[in-house]
Amino acid sequence: MRTMKKSWDDVLFQVLVNLFLVSILVAMILPLWRVFVMSVTPLNYIDTKTFGIWLNPAIWDFEPYKQLLSHPSFLRATTNSAIITLGGVTINMLLTVPMAYALSNRRLPGRKVVITLVLIPFLFNAGMIPTYLVVSGFDLIDTYWAVILPGAINITNLLIMKSFFESLPDELEEAARLDGANDLQVLARVVLPLSKPILLTIGLFYLVGHWNEFFNAILYLNDANLQPLPVLLRNILLASNINEYVESGAFSSASVHAIKAASVFLTMLPMVIIYPWIQGYFTKGTLLGGVKE
Amino acid sequence: MKRILFQLSMALVVFSIILTACAPAATQPAAPAQPAQTSPTSAPAPTQAEAKAPEPTAPPAEMPVSDIELWVAGRVTEAAPPPDDWAGYQIIKDKLHINLKLVMMPSTQTDQDAKVNAAAASNSLPDVFFVNRDAWSKLVQAGLVAKVDDLLSEMPIRTQTHYSDESRNKLVILDGVMYGLADPGTMPMTDALVIRKDWLDKLGLQSPKTLDDFMSVAKAFTFNDPDGNGKNDTYGFCAFIDGTGLNAAGVGPRFDWVYGAYGVPGIWNLTSKDSFQMNVRDPNYMKATEFIKRMNDEKVIDPDWPTLKKDEFRARWKQGACGMMHENFAALANKSNYKDFDANFPNGEWVPMTPPTGPEGKSADGLIIKNARIYAISQKAIDEGKGPAIARLLDWMADEEGYFLLGFGQEGVNYKLDADGYISTEGIPDKEKWTAQETQPLTQLANMVYIFSDVELKARYVAYKTQNGRTMDPLAYYTAFTKMPFVDSTGAGVINPPSNAADFVRFYSENIVQFVLGQKPLTEASWAEYVNGLDSLGAKDVEAEALKTLLSTGFVK
Repeated sequence: MRTMKKSWDDVLFQVLVNLFLVSILVAMILPLWRVFVMSVTPLNYIDTKTFGIWLNPAIWDFEPYKQLLSHPSFLRATTNSAIITLGGVTINMLLTVPMAYALSNRRLPGRKVVITLVLIPFLFNAGMIPTYLVVSGFDLIDTYWAVILPGAINITNLLIMKSFFESLPDELEEAARLDGANDLQVLARVVLPLSKPILLTIGLFYLVGHWNEFFNAILYLNDANLQPLPVLLRNILLASNINEYVESGAFSSASVHAIKAASVFLTMLPMVIIYPWIQGYFTKGTLLGGVKE
Repeated sequence: MKRILFQLSMALVVFSIILTACAPAATQPAAPAQPAQTSPTSAPAPTQAEAKAPEPTAPPAEMPVSDIELWVAGRVTEAAPPPDDWAGYQIIKDKLHINLKLVMMPSTQTDQDAKVNAAAASNSLPDVFFVNRDAWSKLVQAGLVAKVDDLLSEMPIRTQTHYSDESRNKLVILDGVMYGLADPGTMPMTDALVIRKDWLDKLGLQSPKTLDDFMSVAKAFTFNDPDGNGKNDTYGFCAFIDGTGLNAAGVGPRFDWVYGAYGVPGIWNLTSKDSFQMNVRDPNYMKATEFIKRMNDEKVIDPDWPTLKKDEFRARWKQGACGMMHENFAALANKSNYKDFDANFPNGEWVPMTPPTGPEGKSADGLIIKNARIYAISQKAIDEGKGPAIARLLDWMADEEGYFLLGFGQEGVNYKLDADGYISTEGIPDKEKWTAQETQPLTQLANMVYIFSDVELKARYVAYKTQNGRTMDPLAYYTAFTKMPFVDSTGAGVINPPSNAADFVRFYSENIVQFVLGQKPLTEASWAEYVNGLDSLGAKDVEAEALKTLLSTGFVK
């Protein structure tokens, strides 16, 4: 097999493109690195004018992480976030997948009417107050359901998934039906196994959305014991009064700067870990869902 | 049909009146002595006699239990609310016949407003709630907040300890009616100028008296290696642009002392009705801006000041970069803050500095803006007859038992009272002390009881020894700060921002910063153009509206 010899122009182009991409990578990693450095550096060891970018291994201090991980508020909030995220994604997928599949079936009676009804709240969002009234009316205030159910089906995700299902060859479904499969069997045994990219992509969208749940939580969860990690993180980041106005605080034995940085780092860590695992599916799924043949 | 409804209604009214008549008469609680004084500086410490003040009369045992929902701004935002087995819940239930449900408010004003507004829109406001003034005024106009004048007589202790400051009460009065409870907000005069005494001594300098002196000392601190490390790594003055909103527009309160030296601190001239205007119209405001520009041009100020955040600013002085600054006394001197500076510079010493005088001999360290933590009572709660229970609860919070329990935890468990009646933690296990991180949930309601009394201040701002054995007393700094000249600008708190506040403040502040940084020429012509720009954004309307509000609330006469 012959390989094409690259010209100098091609090589130069590749180098420039890679340099550009590396510079973007550095620009994205640097803030994360800085946050990490702040989180493990005791303030009194820093002798430069500002927080150093480069770590001196001799002065690493993981006290802020120890404090956060042993603090009841942090553990409770992490548990709440995990419940909201796992429960939320489960509900999201259980509702989004069947609806998207049903709407992708062109023989579905009243399909256009249903799609129109789906699009109306997508285009004309009622806003915060009506949603609050509904949540309050169903007596969901102070329950996990209050932050899970209002966004149970995201219309954008639904349309992307519907579009993906529509792009699957009809012949596969027809073959399954000839073998005697009903709708649910077609969905479970034919469509879903072929839909891993879109399922993981949409699942990731939902996952990130629930992990970052903040506004609905402060609106609907009055009980502090139910509040998720982003709410606590916000409280920690704004807690300059820890050291400013009172002598005591919830994290009094570590530098407030380090506590803040450590809480930011710990909160984003799960998402940072998950993304690379499903990055391949993510790109593929987004493209497939967005193209209609 | 209408007739039947009318008859039913009348029957209900009569029945209610009969029930009310048969109910036991409410007992007016006697007013006990206060746990401490309201003035942070002049009142004496509480005595044992004061500590043993009579308790308010308990409600009759047969009184039905009321459910009260209270949305409160916690003292330590990152800590949990009081646990379910918190002693306060039981005491409140047993003594006051109240089932208290506490909800901690979010930590930012925007989020607090969103939560309150959502609840208001669905007619589900809690019985008592913390609310910011802008949101509060809208709720009052919507008729969702109850007037509280009548309740004050039902809570005599709290009225005396919390609501006896007329100027602060004006913040919750609309058209002569009091629609909220103005608890003390932040302490006034907490931020002032301080200077590195060890640097002054090393360079043989005196603390500056005038703006010219200030510039000389700042130059020496910047260029004469005051820390003796052989590096050019110090600045005469450190600051950052602090605060947001109309009342902190421009370069912010960290530079108020410069404007104070020219007699124009803050945004407003509140001296009298005739002289009321925005200070930018005063030529002295431009002169003060020129002085800040000079500091910038002469490179005696930390050059990052326009972009620094509060934490970064504080990291600078802890790392020994600053010779003078305008800082909060507790942020400077509390052990938890000072320890980093102390570790880096055991011989470093910050001392309060009298604000330098300007060309006409004027000086001011900053503004006194008495603010309030506003607690409102929903009209729904009053309609449901919860007014007396709410008054009972709030009054208990201000009496001896409530004050100490909410402010410091349980006596003997989280704190002790010494012979003089002051809070002590001697002999209390570390994890049980009211200052321990483990006990922070127990004092989340402290902001509802704190009144800046001597007891609180001595408990909260504890003196300690530095690494080289010097005594560091945060309250000594505060006491020194309160003796500095400040200008009362409490009225600024009632001035509502214009509808285009974001654009207005951005234009106001960006131009001042550009003048200082030399990005725009600072001349009389360019200044006039700047003021015209503010007028085109509605400055005159803002002033007219502000004056109207100030006159109606009595802040300007």
